[in-house]
Amino acid sequence: MSTNISEIVASLPRASAHEHQGGMALVWKVAPWVLLVVLAALPWIAAFAGAEYYVGFVRRILIFMLAVAGLNFILGYGGMVALGQAGFVGVGAYTLVAMSDAGFTSAWGMWIAATLVAALVSAVVGLVSLRTRGAYFIMITLAFAQMIYYVSVSIASYGGDDGYTLPQRPALGFGLDSANEPTLYWVVLAIVVVIFILLNRVTCSRFGHALVGARDNETRMLALGYPVFRIRLVAFTIAGAMAGLAGALLVTHNSFVSPTVIHWTSSATMIVMVLLGGVGRRWGGPLGAAVWIILEEVFRGMTDYWHWPLGVLLIFLVFFAPKGLAALADNRAKKKFSKAGAH
Amino acid sequence: MSLFKAEGLVKRFGGLTATDHVTLDVDVNEVHALIGPNGAGKSTLVNLISGLLPVDEGTLTLDGVDLTGLKPDQRVSAGLSRCFQVTSIFRDASVRDNLLLAAQAYSGTSFRFMGNRDNDKALLDTAKALADRVGLGREFDSIAGALPHGGQRKLDVALALAAHPKLLLLDEPMAGMGPDESARMIELIHSLRRDMAILLIEHDMDAVFQLADRVTVLVYGKVLTSGNAEFIKSNPEVRRVYLGTETHA
Repeated sequence: MSTNISEIVASLPRASAHEHQGGMALVWKVAPWVLLVVLAALPWIAAFAGAEYYVGFVRRILIFMLAVAGLNFILGYGGMVALGQAGFVGVGAYTLVAMSDAGFTSAWGMWIAATLVAALVSAVVGLVSLRTRGAYFIMITLAFAQMIYYVSVSIASYGGDDGYTLPQRPALGFGLDSANEPTLYWVVLAIVVVIFILLNRVTCSRFGHALVGARDNETRMLALGYPVFRIRLVAFTIAGAMAGLAGALLVTHNSFVSPTVIHWTSSATMIVMVLLGGVGRRWGGPLGAAVWIILEEVFRGMTDYWHWPLGVLLIFLVFFAPKGLAALADNRAKKKFSKAGAH
Repeated sequence: MSLFKAEGLVKRFGGLTATDHVTLDVDVNEVHALIGPNGAGKSTLVNLISGLLPVDEGTLTLDGVDLTGLKPDQRVSAGLSRCFQVTSIFRDASVRDNLLLAAQAYSGTSFRFMGNRDNDKALLDTAKALADRVGLGREFDSIAGALPHGGQRKLDVALALAAHPKLLLLDEPMAGMGPDESARMIELIHSLRRDMAILLIEHDMDAVFQLADRVTVLVYGKVLTSGNAEFIKSNPEVRRVYLGTETHA
């Protein structure tokens, strides 16, 4: 897997290298917190501007950030080009649908269950597919996702092709009203932020370093005594669980799901989001998901043929920012530092 | 007593028998050299012993443990570590990160998901000690891929040493080295033998005869003969198939 992937996969993010120097570093350090404050204040800003629609819009972005950050974890840090993440999004979504249909109402319970079921399914898929490499891995993950897709199409009691509408939003408890759009927004924001922070801690942990090592030189990792297969399997399961939670949140957000979310083009779009944001970069997943969905929204508003400009954008991306948007910011930061160092 | 024993190893690739009933042992603190012309099956044998290739027939034991059915990483835990003929390091990472990764493999579980690895003082100390041991202390923060060839070879050895091996497999450690670098590598290997047994695959005959207690000659996948340096040097058959053409290489 490592040979052709190594060209795609950017080298390890070395964010810590420039954290101590210059004003630019301070900007990069503060930016995430500013962003968090803005995101937290968004429902009030939107209400003030009379643009409540955007609360739901950003909530959808946040949910995709979760799934795409998970994909970036295995694709960027693990070197596994999984073309079936939408399948696990679907597993999470339909787990919630099935439980809701059976009479469960607790959002937290169903979210946790959806995460666990997706983790289990992705562990089984990983057990099989991680025995293959390169193009075969891409095809086998795709095949599993398509199997999940056709299962979802064929279950008539959950709407089949037409999808399934939740009778009402799952209940949040703790005095929180899930029917209130800002409330659900804040809950989603909190979940996504917490998991993103945890994921970033994992990438800096022993496990994270072992995962990157297996991406860069599998043979040497085996010779060092690392159980490479198990390391990859655990990472793959983490990403699957994150996709499953994203799926469950997505159904809660829309009160609706259809097999379209599982279609392989959704999996491909997630990979494009990772590439756009920056493969193996801390902010690659969230950035890619946000920019892609925003552009989609903008182009959709301008033309029916909104795929065109997005396609052109992709071509530009490949030529001018092959390492993604997060890497662009990185390069600019580095240039600034070398100038500062010259004084 | 022999620490390591390979008995009746066979490996076939289609119609070609790359390893043909090879039996080999290494004693405690012994340097056992494996020589043979190109295509003799030396690298295949190393891959069989380290577990990167499955054996078709035969058994491997190290210090009383049967290695035959074990995966490469399990063989490392059993005390077997290796270097690579083609330097196998993490080229884009620093010497520090290379050695931290190696130290981590030995220091217990890698399934630890919290806690920043870079703040682990014990790992850093181990990594530094490894760098010093092979003479890379001053290049600790260099990017591995930017080291000169000899430095990269040393790093390859240091990675293998992190596992505290009972048996170290060195696959042509002197490959591509100039005389100065070779001399330093010989010195290094000499210093290692106090702590471990070494199976040395090497083309450089000077190095082999300086280091090896015993030499086994491999030809077309078979053991031609085995004995101490003097015996091998004076063996007419060995001279014919091998030494005659390469003595002053």
